[in-house]
Amino acid sequence: MAVSWAVALALGAAAFALAHWSARALPRPAPFGELAYYPSGRYLRPAVLGHPETAADLAWLRAVQYYGEHRRTDNRFDQLAHVFDILTALSPGFQSAYVFGSFALAQEGGRFPQAERLMRSGLENNPTSGRLAFEAGFLYYVRPGGRDLAHAAECFELASRLPGGPPSATRFAAFARQNSGSLVVAYALWADVLNTSSNRYMREAAEREMQRIRLAIESRRESLARDRLGVPGVIVRPGS
Amino acid sequence: MSALVVARNTYREAIRDRVLLGIVIAGFAVLALTQVLRPLALGEGLRLTIDLGLSSIAFLGLLVVLLVGAGLVSKEIDRRTIYNLLSRPLPRWVYLVGKWAGLSTALWVVAAALGFALWALVALLGHPGYAGSIAEAVYLEGLELTLVTAVAVFFSSLSTPVLSALYTAGVFLGGQWCDDLRMIAGHFPGAFARVLEGAADVMPNLTLFNMRTLASSGATTSALHLALATLYALLYCGCALALGAAALESRDFK
Repeated sequence: MAVSWAVALALGAAAFALAHWSARALPRPAPFGELAYYPSGRYLRPAVLGHPETAADLAWLRAVQYYGEHRRTDNRFDQLAHVFDILTALSPGFQSAYVFGSFALAQEGGRFPQAERLMRSGLENNPTSGRLAFEAGFLYYVRPGGRDLAHAAECFELASRLPGGPPSATRFAAFARQNSGSLVVAYALWADVLNTSSNRYMREAAEREMQRIRLAIESRRESLARDRLGVPGVIVRPGS
Repeated sequence: MSALVVARNTYREAIRDRVLLGIVIAGFAVLALTQVLRPLALGEGLRLTIDLGLSSIAFLGLLVVLLVGAGLVSKEIDRRTIYNLLSRPLPRWVYLVGKWAGLSTALWVVAAALGFALWALVALLGHPGYAGSIAEAVYLEGLELTLVTAVAVFFSSLSTPVLSALYTAGVFLGGQWCDDLRMIAGHFPGAFARVLEGAADVMPNLTLFNMRTLASSGATTSALHLALATLYALLYCGCALALGAAALESRDFK
């Protein structure tokens, strides 16, 4: 028996050492390589045997690790759009995936059209989510290279009407409308903030903005009602 | 001797089986693993816990059905212990129902234990309000396992344990894919489409027992859904057990 134990330990130690060495010496498998064979999550659904949510959760864990690894190294997120398309096809209600995926694609990934497509699919799959509508508005508001205030305002307004939307959504919508030139709509939205907000400072801010808009309309100088907003950009330092 | 006696003995054998103990331990291990993975989930730890917890109940329960249920009748035939039972005034269908009821009860106990552990973990994480959704999801999974057990008992009356397990697994897969079968049928013309649709209807509609999507967000399903799922499970189980009884009655044990 002692001989058997000794042989088992010796062979086990050798196998352990070999596995440890080969993990460092051999090329690592490409993350998500297997997902590349699936054109969409729709074809992956039958393979998960009625557990798409769990499969989406496991894909989420790997997607977060993938993002973290590349964020620390080369800032290339070539697989990210595909992974989040599959993940959200498996679990269309996974709102955090739309938010994280869209912002990662838009900001560090530099792929705003893909980010927008992902977020739009989130809104289609979750039409009553005020949270997603608000995040979509923010995505447009901080679009690298130039804010899309018109779309941002649309989304903020939608968020203010849907359940789960933050109380500040109306204020955000008013701000975006005002700075995109829709002064009349902005005025109405600020009036809504004035009438409904329980925060004294918010009501004072709403009154101020309404005053600015009245002045801008009366003097026909739209620029009086607009703020100077900077152009959003993304500075990514590898390894930070 | 009644079905209750057979069920009680089957239940006792199942509960004492090391497979079941291993399954329960594996279930608790999965719940522990979800907490190890939680920091990596970027705020989605609760969702991960519930999804993995419910999926583990379903898959581990299926494992019990394939390992234990598929050999429930055929092992007794191989060991010749069935002769003792059938020599008594015990109708074969009563024997089959007793076997199914005993294993199903054991599976319900396992599902309830793991479901309770899941709810306790979720409550510890600060979300006690998920009790309703977890309870409904576990109930539906229990119904699904009961149905698959009936299918396993049917195959076990006909064939060897290995083949019974394979056939049961095949029916399980077919049951998960019946919606896809119907969708594929729509792409084909005429008779072949009807064959595919017929196959989809014959397969157990296991998607009816799936409310994991709702459970992970804390939502509950309707009473109608629960009632339909219960009725469907009872009807399908009755059908499978009746077929199993017919198969067993046609066998000549000499």
